[in-house]
Amino acid sequence: MRLQLIAAAVAVCAVTFAARADGTLSMRGVYYKERATRVTQPMLDGAFEVGPKGLLTAHLLVDSITSASASSGAADAVAFNEKRYEVGAGYARQVLPTLRIGANGKYSTESDYTSSYIGARAELELAQKNLVLGVGGGITEDEISAGAAQGPAVPTLACEPGQSLPSCTLSTYSLFLSASQILSKNDVLGLSYDMSALRGFTSNPYRLAIAGNQFLPEHHPEERLRQAAAISLRHYIPRSATAVIAAYRHYRDDWDVRAHTPEVRVVQQIGDDAEAALRYRFHTQTAAYFYRGRYADTMGIDGFVSDDVKLSAFRSHTIEAKLGVLGRMFGLENRWAGARFEGILQYVLQDNRFGNAIVAHLALTLPFEY
Amino acid sequence: MVRPFVRYLTRICICLVLVTAASGCVRVRAHERENLAKRAMTNDRDPGEARFGQHERGSREGADGGTGEPGGGCGCN
Repeated sequence: MRLQLIAAAVAVCAVTFAARADGTLSMRGVYYKERATRVTQPMLDGAFEVGPKGLLTAHLLVDSITSASASSGAADAVAFNEKRYEVGAGYARQVLPTLRIGANGKYSTESDYTSSYIGARAELELAQKNLVLGVGGGITEDEISAGAAQGPAVPTLACEPGQSLPSCTLSTYSLFLSASQILSKNDVLGLSYDMSALRGFTSNPYRLAIAGNQFLPEHHPEERLRQAAAISLRHYIPRSATAVIAAYRHYRDDWDVRAHTPEVRVVQQIGDDAEAALRYRFHTQTAAYFYRGRYADTMGIDGFVSDDVKLSAFRSHTIEAKLGVLGRMFGLENRWAGARFEGILQYVLQDNRFGNAIVAHLALTLPFEY
Repeated sequence: MVRPFVRYLTRICICLVLVTAASGCVRVRAHERENLAKRAMTNDRDPGEARFGQHERGSREGADGGTGEPGGGCGCN
């Protein structure tokens, strides 16, 4: 009897121990400012272990946008405020010792745009986890209106030629492939390929292009195929506890936009409880074949007109500084010892109409057990 | 439209196979991966940071997307 009780107690302890799980809760506030637009975004991210093989993630955020930009719906350059709400969740599970699968979704809503995404991914570990292959895909369904227009009437949208409706739809089908290979005790190589196909209303409902001597509503092609390939190399220098990360991304689409984006990051470990990072990113892109600053006549280029600065040829430079510190550096104890405080400051220089931008993050990540 | 897409994808797949095959003889055992397990060597960006960066680039650059979760608000098509 005594042996049975001891066995039962051991079993209960084992189950209790196994039932303990780890999680993290992260709070982040972001401030973004450029010439005509200011965005503040508080967000909450959570990650929770579900059993020994599952991981549940979730996020919630609010975008508060103050803009005087006509492309956001402002009339006569008078600034207005709008909020966007987004929720998302995902679940990943180790189904085999070398195979992990997952699914995730998100929903975003604001006065003139709703977006729903659902996707799935799988990761396969090979060669004693020296090589990790990933594949995934998803579908996004968006609904676009001109609900944020500041004028006396909400304009209708020309979803297709000759068709005016209060709102239009946009479907996006995406696919990605990735590979990560350990090259040595201090080097990891990453490769990825992303593709997305857009079908539907790809214009902005507020923007007007100058064509001949009049303003025309923006009209983009209803289809777009976007592709990007990226390579990254992470190298660790043990003597100085420094990680150097170099990456390059090449983008192309069937609107003739081509982009090259190299980036380098240096992450310096400071003792056991802090790290500082510097980042530089360069971006250069060509213009879409139908983009012009001004069109000669109302026919545009092949019937398309655009006032989208994102589709013009331009260059940008991003400089970023980041500091992350653990709570024990401040003498905090218990759960707070492992809390991570983070600050990021970013400056973007770009030679287009958007002008330069500044971005700042403050974040706190708190680990916990349950 | 399909042909250039397939050609680009084929090149990427060939690169993926070549690089992974060329490094296939490398075997770093689990106990030798101490440095590779450092935060900076795994993922030095939190989900919130990465998500905001993606959204911000999507509203400024015409070469975003293909990240698995395109679209999503800000009326900035």
